[in-house]
Amino acid sequence: MDRPSPIEDKDLRHDSFSRSDHRTKRLPAMGWNSWNAFGSGNTEELTRTMVGKILELGLDKLGYEYIVLDDGCYMPVRIEGRLAADDVKFPSGFGKLSDFIHANGLKFGMYNDIGTKLCSGIEVGICGHEKEDCEDYVKWGIDFIKVDNCYYPWDNATFADTENARFTFAPNIKSIEIDGITHEAKDAIITGTRAEVKDGYVTFIGTYDGTAPDRTPVGLQSSELIWEILSDKDKTSEFNVTYATGREEGIGEWLQAAVNDEVFFDGLLPATESPEEFVISDTISIRLHKGTNRIRLMNHRRQENTLQSYTRIRQELDKAGGSNITMSICEWGKTQPQDWGHKVGDSWRILNDIKFQVGSDGTPGKASWNDDYTLSITSQYNKAVIMDEFSGLTKGWNDPDMMVIGMNGIDDTMSRSHMAMWCMLNAPLMLGLDLRKVSKGDAVHNIISDEDLIALNQDPLGIQAKRIFTTIECEEPDKEYIRDIRRIDVLAKPLANGDLALAFFNLDKETRADDPKISIELILDKIGSKMVNRDLFANASGFDIRDLYTKETVRTTDRIFSAGPLGPCDSKIIRITPAS
Amino acid sequence: MTTEGFISLFCKETGEDPVNIFERGRQAGWLEVQDEVFRQDPITRKNVARILHMYLLKVKNIQDLDIKDAEVLRDLYDCRVCANHIAQMYLHGVMDAKDLMEGGRFLWFDLDGEDSDEVNKDHIRRLLSIR
Repeated sequence: MDRPSPIEDKDLRHDSFSRSDHRTKRLPAMGWNSWNAFGSGNTEELTRTMVGKILELGLDKLGYEYIVLDDGCYMPVRIEGRLAADDVKFPSGFGKLSDFIHANGLKFGMYNDIGTKLCSGIEVGICGHEKEDCEDYVKWGIDFIKVDNCYYPWDNATFADTENARFTFAPNIKSIEIDGITHEAKDAIITGTRAEVKDGYVTFIGTYDGTAPDRTPVGLQSSELIWEILSDKDKTSEFNVTYATGREEGIGEWLQAAVNDEVFFDGLLPATESPEEFVISDTISIRLHKGTNRIRLMNHRRQENTLQSYTRIRQELDKAGGSNITMSICEWGKTQPQDWGHKVGDSWRILNDIKFQVGSDGTPGKASWNDDYTLSITSQYNKAVIMDEFSGLTKGWNDPDMMVIGMNGIDDTMSRSHMAMWCMLNAPLMLGLDLRKVSKGDAVHNIISDEDLIALNQDPLGIQAKRIFTTIECEEPDKEYIRDIRRIDVLAKPLANGDLALAFFNLDKETRADDPKISIELILDKIGSKMVNRDLFANASGFDIRDLYTKETVRTTDRIFSAGPLGPCDSKIIRITPAS
Repeated sequence: MTTEGFISLFCKETGEDPVNIFERGRQAGWLEVQDEVFRQDPITRKNVARILHMYLLKVKNIQDLDIKDAEVLRDLYDCRVCANHIAQMYLHGVMDAKDLMEGGRFLWFDLDGEDSDEVNKDHIRRLLSIR
């Protein structure tokens, strides 16, 4: 196949993305994933040992249930058309390992990729093998699948041909012609912030690549070019477009065209000599309706192709009897999955990886608190914290990647704040450390087993915390993408029993003396509509305040909450109960 | 140079016994199954980096350096799964980057590039000099 398939199902179209039809109402997944701890070097023996440690540490009782094999576990080619376990690393095979995990009361997770290869480069990507691979996954009894995005043939994803961008962007557009009348692109409506007018034509008609941390996920992250054409009657008209193609980010060869929501063209246009040498397309007939017609030129295929690929896996899992399998979408935020992930998955990664210096047996790997790219706790947090409106029980969860607690470079204070952040953000809680280095009652164990924090993450109301205040000046703290870590953020999270969790995070690596005072009125204004009983809070005569770190509870009549000065990377999390 | 040729050279330079080397290397965790299955394919620089880095970790017990110092390589993060291997080989001085502009302004590791037999031999010798 040399191009993406037609999209027959309207539910996979961009215009349907706002329809929330999430099938399951699962809380964020909790478990252990092999990647951060062991990279490609995970083995059956190590995995069995981690199962034992999960039980020994009592983590299973706290909700950590999935044991997920990441990249590096397969034979590099299919054997008689079927996936197979690396015979040295996993000598018993996946089925036996699955049985072992289930026999210990835990759940089994595996990994694949919507591309032709896995990220490690071996040629067993699921693209084109959805049916047989999903049959095998169900046969092996998996409960969870993480699906990556390397070597994807229909976008310029990691390791894929960069020229695949031709599928995901429209050509440069100079004008359209309808019944002989020319309509210039520079005079048309441009939606979103992606496209722009350049030298009399419009370019960058497509969807922003969200892999790197340089773009906000909030608001419209794709662009269309729209003309409003008045017609005095229903009629058939002659249409053509003047365009120039490219094969790079921003300029492609694939055009989608619609009258209102009726797509009349969705395919490749013949390539031009260069992105600035324009030609006139063949003429096609379109149907105009009496009144105003919105002629839309666009390319939403970056999102639609990726959704279609994940949907194929979902459908084949369902057909094979695996409809309860949790799907973790791992396309790194590239195609703005917060728009469509709810249709097929249970969570979606929001950025590239949180660390690249993974561990191996005997070496914990290294992570960072802050970083200019995606490779840190705060890089992931800074984006996730403004994505609360995309998540929920009827949608799914933003995934700022597996936790890096236990890796070099992350001290106890950072680890505690990291855990609290992921809990407040309703992120999947996937441990990524070598659990052999953890003992009951040590600092790491106390953090990852903190029942008060986990209760926030697994609260049945399923509402991600909203940032209601930050010490950096901004107009909309819940929407503005702030990457400067010299600040304290305050997040509020309504809980099912009517309580409210309030978190103060010092993102800075220095102590910050600024001490935000958060009033009940501010909380109610920002998140009151999502609270179980807003009035109970508004009219309470006092509050019980439980510090989730010290475990102390005090009663107060004060209607102002604060944390006091916070040390480097430190935080304070309180659970507020209105006094009756 | 094929992967098999590289492993033969590696055994010659390091003194590793070449008999069943793929199986033993996989058991020890410094070779991957794809090295054995695709032994006749040309070996890329990213795969040389992986093999040499894992040998350093698993056999020579040399700990990793901070990957941050390798961020001068413009293509370091083009490969999520091999970034650390590349970084460690660059930071330990085992494999060099290409300077595409004068003065180190555009250092390029060239992940998918291939090196000559002589250059690969030099990589192995540099690896063996690490204490």
